[in-house]
Amino acid sequence: MSAVAAEQSSSRLQAALAIALPLVLAFAGTAVLLGLAGHNPVEVYRLLIVESFGGTRRIAATLSAATPLMLTGLATAIAFRAGAFNVGVEGCVYVGGLAAAYIGFTFVGLPAAILLPLALATGLVVGSLWMLVPGVLKARLDVDEVVTTLMLNFIAISLTAYLVNGPLLAPGSANSATPMVDAAARLPRLMPPSTLNAGFLIAVALLLLYWLWGKRTALGFETRLAGLNPRFATASGIDVPGLIIKMMLLSGAIGGLAGAVHALGNVGRFVSGFSPGYGFAGIAVALLGRGSAIGIFLAAILFGALAASGATIQLFSDVPIEIVNVLQGMVMIFAVARFGWIMSKKRGAA
Amino acid sequence: MIENVLHSAIVMTTPVLLAAIGGLVNRIGGIVNIGLDSMMLGGALIAIILASQTGSWGVALVGAAGVGALLGLLMSLCVTRLKADEIIVGLGFNILVAGLVRFFLKTAYGSSGTLRLPDVARLPRIEIPVIADIPYLGAILSGHDPLTWAAWILVPVTVWFLRRTRLGLRLRAAGAAPQASRALGLSPLRLRDASTVFAGLLAGLAGAYLSIGVVGIFNEGITAGRGFIALAAFYFGRNRPWPTALCALLFGFFDALQIRLQGRGIPAELIQTLPYAMVIVVLTFMAIATRRARALKA
Repeated sequence: MSAVAAEQSSSRLQAALAIALPLVLAFAGTAVLLGLAGHNPVEVYRLLIVESFGGTRRIAATLSAATPLMLTGLATAIAFRAGAFNVGVEGCVYVGGLAAAYIGFTFVGLPAAILLPLALATGLVVGSLWMLVPGVLKARLDVDEVVTTLMLNFIAISLTAYLVNGPLLAPGSANSATPMVDAAARLPRLMPPSTLNAGFLIAVALLLLYWLWGKRTALGFETRLAGLNPRFATASGIDVPGLIIKMMLLSGAIGGLAGAVHALGNVGRFVSGFSPGYGFAGIAVALLGRGSAIGIFLAAILFGALAASGATIQLFSDVPIEIVNVLQGMVMIFAVARFGWIMSKKRGAA
Repeated sequence: MIENVLHSAIVMTTPVLLAAIGGLVNRIGGIVNIGLDSMMLGGALIAIILASQTGSWGVALVGAAGVGALLGLLMSLCVTRLKADEIIVGLGFNILVAGLVRFFLKTAYGSSGTLRLPDVARLPRIEIPVIADIPYLGAILSGHDPLTWAAWILVPVTVWFLRRTRLGLRLRAAGAAPQASRALGLSPLRLRDASTVFAGLLAGLAGAYLSIGVVGIFNEGITAGRGFIALAAFYFGRNRPWPTALCALLFGFFDALQIRLQGRGIPAELIQTLPYAMVIVVLTFMAIATRRARALKA
């Protein structure tokens, strides 16, 4: 093997290692926890795999659970790529979900061909507008977007909770939920009785577009440049602030769409506690997928599988479903940790 | 009614103030601690378990402080040694600890979300004679527990520590100019770790205050995002202890008011958004002021 080829294969190995390592560590850490709690980790993991991929119905459930995560992961990755650290996708899921549900139960009687796109578009626009303020503040005044988007999450959760407890509460309902959306506003199911719906196709199509956009278009290239080195990008004549606003709006739009898809595809209405942390899981998905379309797709499927199978193994064995959150948190932490210093130390010793 | 609101405003301020002081010191040391909420949650759980088993609130506080400090250390090592992004690690800790707590509750107690234990030793209340009988002042000063007093005493102590002590100066250097401080032979990473451990310790105590100070039971949502409110407080106070404390007091007042106003036509959910909205407004004004100052110089 020539020296160049050897170097190439070793760098490819390192890249693979960089993606696999957080996963391996997270699963190992969780295995320790399971062992401490008196469960057999190998058995639990085997059950998780069987429950998420063994059979068409289970695969459908996994893909259904992965759908919102593909969208929130994509929303996060788009902002990250432009150098904007958007942690506010969770808020967009809430406002987008409520907006889409509102259209779905208000304009009853419209044909599906109009009502469904209208509801989806409303979720998208509202999610996008939710990111307008932090986007403009970041781009024009250099206000830390991490803090503003984090704060907006709490505002979105409280604001939507107010709306479903008050003005938008379903008549006669005691729990905080809106009325069910019209059948015409529901995303069509792909494989009934599973909840897998057309939202999955939307998510995959968007991921494809994202891949093409990053590879083939000038805007995609400029965005990456602005994210990697804003000063160089500015010097090359790219309008970095404008780009950041655009990408924050786009990120919010996809986050809002994630909420709309969850409302119209899975829940059928908006309820308080609407998102089980899809926006935060999206950060883990984007990080684990290293911001690439295929990476986001696979990472979303992984987390979707965990969520779908976590619910069923809780029924069959006494392993609490929270094991999924534990894994998710660990993946997030290990995905940003750089273990390079361990390798460099070893290399120095050799 | 006013006396009640004043008293409970002070009560609701304590956890936010404790965590905010910790977060402030942490931020001056160079780390924005998004994980405060997780350290509060861990502290709250350990405190109630120890308070029930040992019957001593002192042991419970030590345990809560220890768990918070341990979580702080782990988080800090991820940031300083493994070069992980502090925001992501902080969010990761919040998800991880929330999952661990619920996992533990189900596994050890078979309960989902809420933990009621017998014989929980509650924090004692300090009644101050004479002052307790003075209207308003009595409600503000008397009938509080040791943690509340400790939290308020910490405010001037932190001012003194940051301004007057060698360690405080070194911590500020570690946060503001890590390279310069390394050149002087200091170890900025170790100082940073110490500041995160301190933040975790105070956040753990803040959690203990919620579980054995205020209610006497534990719930998975017991922090109600107060770790983030604390974050808001020291952002709002621009890293200065007294303004941060005033901010925590303001949020405590909102909290008390919101409980009072429930069922009176003013939606509690909307009041809950106020602290968060205020942070965005303040950050915006600060940015505009900085821009103006820069424009004047040029």
